[in-house]
Amino acid sequence: MEKLLEMAMDAADQAEVFFRAQNITRLTMRNGSVTETSTSMTSGYSLRIIRDGILGSACTRNLADRRDLVSNAVVSLEGGVEAGYRLPGPHDPASLDTFHPSIDGLGYTDLAEVCRSVLDSLKGRVAGQVDCSGGFEKKTTRVVNSNSLDVSSTAGGFYVGAQVLFPATETSIGQVRYSLDKCGLPSERLDEIVELYSRGLEEVEAPTGRMKVLFHPHAMNTLTWRLRSALSARSVYFGTSPLIGRKGERVLSDRITFVEDPHAAGAIGTTPFDDEGVPTRKLPLIRDGVFESLYTNLDYAARLGIEPTGSGFRGEDAIEGLPAAGLAQEGFEPGDMTFDEMVSSMDEGVILMGALGAHSGNIINGDFSVGMNPGLLVRNGRIVGRVRDGMVAGNVWDVMQRVIGVEDRIHDPSSWARYPCVLLDGVNVSGTKA
Amino acid sequence: MRERLGQMLSKVSADFADIRYEIRRQTVVSFGGREIKQVNAGSTDGFVVRARRGTGFSSAVVSREEDVPRAFALAVEGADTMMGSGGRKVALAPVPVVEDEVEPELNGDPRLIPVSDKIAATRAYNEILLGQKEIATTSISYSEVCREKFYANTEGSSIHETLVTVAISGEVVAKRGGLLQNVRVAVGGANGWESLVGREDVFLERAGIAGRLLDAEPVRSGTYDVILNPSMAGVFTHEAFGHFSEADIIEDNPSMRAKMALGAKLGSDAVGMVADSTLPGQLGRYVYDDEGVAVRRVQLMKNGVLTGRLHSRATAASFGELPTGHCVAEDYRYEPIVRMGTIFIEPGEDSVESLFPRLGNGLYILDAKGGQTSGENFTFGAQYGFLVEGGSVGSMVRDINIMGNLFSTLSNISGTASDFRLSERGGCGKGQTNIKSNYGGPHVLISGMVVGGV
Repeated sequence: MEKLLEMAMDAADQAEVFFRAQNITRLTMRNGSVTETSTSMTSGYSLRIIRDGILGSACTRNLADRRDLVSNAVVSLEGGVEAGYRLPGPHDPASLDTFHPSIDGLGYTDLAEVCRSVLDSLKGRVAGQVDCSGGFEKKTTRVVNSNSLDVSSTAGGFYVGAQVLFPATETSIGQVRYSLDKCGLPSERLDEIVELYSRGLEEVEAPTGRMKVLFHPHAMNTLTWRLRSALSARSVYFGTSPLIGRKGERVLSDRITFVEDPHAAGAIGTTPFDDEGVPTRKLPLIRDGVFESLYTNLDYAARLGIEPTGSGFRGEDAIEGLPAAGLAQEGFEPGDMTFDEMVSSMDEGVILMGALGAHSGNIINGDFSVGMNPGLLVRNGRIVGRVRDGMVAGNVWDVMQRVIGVEDRIHDPSSWARYPCVLLDGVNVSGTKA
Repeated sequence: MRERLGQMLSKVSADFADIRYEIRRQTVVSFGGREIKQVNAGSTDGFVVRARRGTGFSSAVVSREEDVPRAFALAVEGADTMMGSGGRKVALAPVPVVEDEVEPELNGDPRLIPVSDKIAATRAYNEILLGQKEIATTSISYSEVCREKFYANTEGSSIHETLVTVAISGEVVAKRGGLLQNVRVAVGGANGWESLVGREDVFLERAGIAGRLLDAEPVRSGTYDVILNPSMAGVFTHEAFGHFSEADIIEDNPSMRAKMALGAKLGSDAVGMVADSTLPGQLGRYVYDDEGVAVRRVQLMKNGVLTGRLHSRATAASFGELPTGHCVAEDYRYEPIVRMGTIFIEPGEDSVESLFPRLGNGLYILDAKGGQTSGENFTFGAQYGFLVEGGSVGSMVRDINIMGNLFSTLSNISGTASDFRLSERGGCGKGQTNIKSNYGGPHVLISGMVVGGV
């Protein structure tokens, strides 16, 4: 990498070499049988150069021909992409617990053992088909640049998930757990699956109208996708964020604190620096309902004249493309209600356990309209069944003004998010009941 | 390369093995508003191997040639784990051994067009959008993906096929005060550079729709009878029915397999569905899938009766049906899985105009804005729509999202018009992104759809 950087500097004022190696192993069990095993071992390099304030870039899977890689980056300078930022200088990355070496010793038999254990624990407790999956991952990153930055990290973890399918459907109630080490699903999580599945067995019709909706962490991306869109420095720069000019204003209920925390203890997906080598830190984006900070990569920080926040990430395929403003480990701060208290407080409403279509609709405006997949109908504080063909819709800047309560517990529905349940009032529900 | 792949296969201790080496050349030019944000032309490559031993079957992906032996060892280990733990018993349906070289049929090879011309074309269309009233910004990209694939297996098949896809696509945003409305735009396909030339009318139309949406009212949530335009009908076909016709989706769910038995009457007599990636000039066209099987036309539904489904060799064997050539990967980073290419609802004999009096009161819903499916449940968004009263098209409405159940919706299709149109841009996500997902159909009349509104 150093040699490549040296060659790149012959043609540039600044240069950066990014390296990523990623090993992923997965196993899936459906209906009691192992149905899929797969491994992926990929690595590659991305070169970014800046000459006279213009950006060039190129990528490769190997360093067999460094000269060709530099040449490709130089050719891309012809595009005239402006880069008015300076690559970061050297620093000592925070010491985080991002990887446990025990992951290196795992194999398919460990995954099969964990999944089998989950299946055995649920055996006889639910009538539906049980599917289970597990996997582990190791990711190594190194960023070196012409400003003497040289940082590297290894991250990774293990996950196991289980879902129980409602009869003759692919709709399910499930749980997933992420951990830095090999892990199973704790008994309390399995108990929750059994409880919610049993209460959702009967299919019911939902009424149409405004009512209370409890967003489960597995459906929370419906709301946070819109928040992320508005809080991105890119959206502000292009004038498409509803938060422009509102820093310091209360934009959501004061019960809501939305945080980026790449240093979250015990979480997988934490990182001491972003994919541009900028140090990461805990970043309250919305605190007690008040808009506090954008998140940004180097590019939009320079364009907006703000400090970089360590939020320049390259996405799933790290070596192609360029770092964009993104979040590594987002979440809501916990509240003070238990899940049972939240359900008990609902006269009539829906628990959105999963959402279909969170990615569609007018996201920049904050609008959402998602299918319940599934949704559990609550009447008089009790779950009475699973909704047939229902939707939940609204605008995030409207409905999140009416937060009744936030759960006192954090779930990890994905490797990059940690949410409690959130209970909202006056959310639009469309059902099939006349 | 094909000889080298053959040598790698000869060292594998398995009942069946295959390997795909692929070079992916991609050119991207992106604009955000008037600013050019990215120009990137690059090439990456890698290997995907699969092995079957006994009744186990597994895959591994590596990006370095020196790791190929390790990849085969891991695939064999995965297959052994499947078999040793009482996993699914995998067989592969027999297919002809093929040796072939396939070059794409292109009307203008984009690989021969200078990057400067690609930047200029994208900028010109972007300027058309930005020049229209109340357009605040755009996000427009040129995307060219060339997959050069070399495939070989231990049965003797050896194939070299190249696929080239181009698009100029993105989003245009209109703004008035605090209200933002966005509309998607896309031109392109798999038949070459010329599909991008002379398309100014498309960009003008999309900017106009974005502006008109600023005056549109949000649709009121409820249950409506609807007419879907070909884009929306295509998304319904793809999202609701198409994914369920992918055999791997239902393979391990016995109750769904029973429900989706061939011969089952699932839809109204008006419904015919076809998957046909052999159609020339279409985005979804290819000759061989990523396990070396020639793709063929599949009649999925006829007069509402299920008549076929899409298969890999493994699912074909599992269902006791014939392979269809639909086992496709996004690129060298992924193992192939069952995917749709071109899929559509067949046109009927009625005129488009005749559907509106039959609708009476309801919604006319146009142009897809994403969709998602989970088993028999689906949602999809529309970019805009119109209220229909007494068969007459009225005012524009926005924020339209629909949810439905596949089986009830298929039964509620009461009319298909005689027009027909297929999409120019794909992007289906099923763990991997399929940029060649290609869908469409005629205008379709459906009763009783749940609309979310906002």
